[in-house]
Amino acid sequence: MTRGRLASIRMLALAGFALVCGCTNTPVETVAKIDGEAAYRANCLVCHQADGRGVPFLQPPLVDGPWVLGDPQALAAFVLTGGFNSAERKDSPNENVMPAFTQLDDATLAAVLTYVRARFGKDAGAVTPEVVAQARQTIAR
Amino acid sequence: MLRMLMISLTAASAVISTSLAEENDGLSLPRGFHATVVHEGIGFARQIAIRDNGDLYVATRKPPSAREEDARSGGIVALRDTNADGKPDVVEHFSEVRGTGVQFHDGMLYASTNVAVYRFRFEGGELVPNASPEVVVDGFVQERQHADKTFAFDDENHLYVNVGAPSNSCQQQDRAPESAGQQPCPLLERYGGIWQFDARKSGQTQLADGVRYVTGLRNVVALEWNDEADALYVVMHGRDQLDTLWPKLFSAEDNAITVAEEMHVARRGGDYGWPYTYFDVKRGVRMVGPEYGGNGKTPAERGKYPDPLVAFPAHWAPNDIVFYESSAFPASYRGGAFIAFHGSWNRAPLPQAGYKVVFVPMKDGKPSGDWQVFADRFASDPIKDNSPANAERRPVGLAVAADGSLYITDSVKGRIWRVTYSET
Repeated sequence: MTRGRLASIRMLALAGFALVCGCTNTPVETVAKIDGEAAYRANCLVCHQADGRGVPFLQPPLVDGPWVLGDPQALAAFVLTGGFNSAERKDSPNENVMPAFTQLDDATLAAVLTYVRARFGKDAGAVTPEVVAQARQTIAR
Repeated sequence: MLRMLMISLTAASAVISTSLAEENDGLSLPRGFHATVVHEGIGFARQIAIRDNGDLYVATRKPPSAREEDARSGGIVALRDTNADGKPDVVEHFSEVRGTGVQFHDGMLYASTNVAVYRFRFEGGELVPNASPEVVVDGFVQERQHADKTFAFDDENHLYVNVGAPSNSCQQQDRAPESAGQQPCPLLERYGGIWQFDARKSGQTQLADGVRYVTGLRNVVALEWNDEADALYVVMHGRDQLDTLWPKLFSAEDNAITVAEEMHVARRGGDYGWPYTYFDVKRGVRMVGPEYGGNGKTPAERGKYPDPLVAFPAHWAPNDIVFYESSAFPASYRGGAFIAFHGSWNRAPLPQAGYKVVFVPMKDGKPSGDWQVFADRFASDPIKDNSPANAERRPVGLAVAADGSLYITDSVKGRIWRVTYSET
């Protein structure tokens, strides 16, 4: 992750924190208005921490994690369903389970996952709202 | 009056910690105390027990990796000093029993997993007990969250087992934003309290033999019987995530500093208020939890649940308590409690805190003065990137040896310290 790229993600933050925190179900006009880093702070940081390394024995690291590096739609589906019924749960050394983040709209979740993959996933590519929408459809079935 | 006392207790730490003196390996302790690293590298160390002959037994957790060498190494680490230089020279890993709790009772070594308590008998002076352990209690539900079955004994052969709740605040969906609390909380039937058993009997189960001694305790990894008060003492992990679960009611700062880690006397039949309430450190008042209609300013019904003996700062994670009955330390330590705090994660994004061992002076089973930081600088302050994964050391287990020295374990480097006192 280059600083330039992080900065460019930050520059996309036009609507910012209030939009993410206060009214996550409000439709947004375009993905460009969502600040992925702010949305990470509001939704993910307390467990996975600012550096993405998680907390030993409690919450797993995101840094170079298989979900983070893997298929974007599978990643989105995982975050939308949470960890309670995941295959990893049985053998996980971690105490806590991720809740389902269905309350995040497609654009916000796409911005969060784009930030996570850029920052903690070896510059893995962006996740689009369309991919999140497809993931939401697959888990609804 | 009690409320004012509590506020003054919680404000004490910063002032007193400035008088700590630095140790060789960077720990700080009050003047006159000295910490020696007696061993390190035993894995993910948890609580520690000391046999009458001075042998040390440390419970360890399963490593996060599935490497064969880790799996082979055994869950309990036994350490013996054969040449009387103060440092163990024989170190044995044994048993499949892995967890946090380990204690001696009636000459036997008791140790627990997430679902059972076992005991090992000794034939004589051997370091590693030969026979397989007996099951003292099993039948606890297999859980992940707050699953450590730590335990304590009274002097009438009762065993007290912490059964932590597999939940943060008994929401309909655990840790999901704005999910309501279950009323009544069904988890309290099997969790969220302390169950009492017969320490002498084997083959007990939670359902058939356990008596729910107290309820309304979220998770009390730290519990110990106090002979002077003839009562069980606990220090609770308070609830997490006020702000991320209830963003309209609480800020990140509210979450970082509001909810106490509560120290209580656990009296038979007592209810300590989880999940319906939490104790607010700043206000010195018990509050209704947001899952149950509280808005951060809603006090709980007065007198329904006890106030804590001491309200420690939020999210410090109390993982062991011992009472100090020896005369090796100065007289002011006699009868008081040492408490090991593993340190916070849930204070993020505010600075992490609480990677410390504290001391509570006590008389007749009650705090007799402000609590104070006893051992500090386990982790650098601030921690790099504010990330608990970067903490250099984290204290977990405590035990007092026959000579009055205090042993402290560390879950990061698997380090064990012995703390002694000398006036010179």
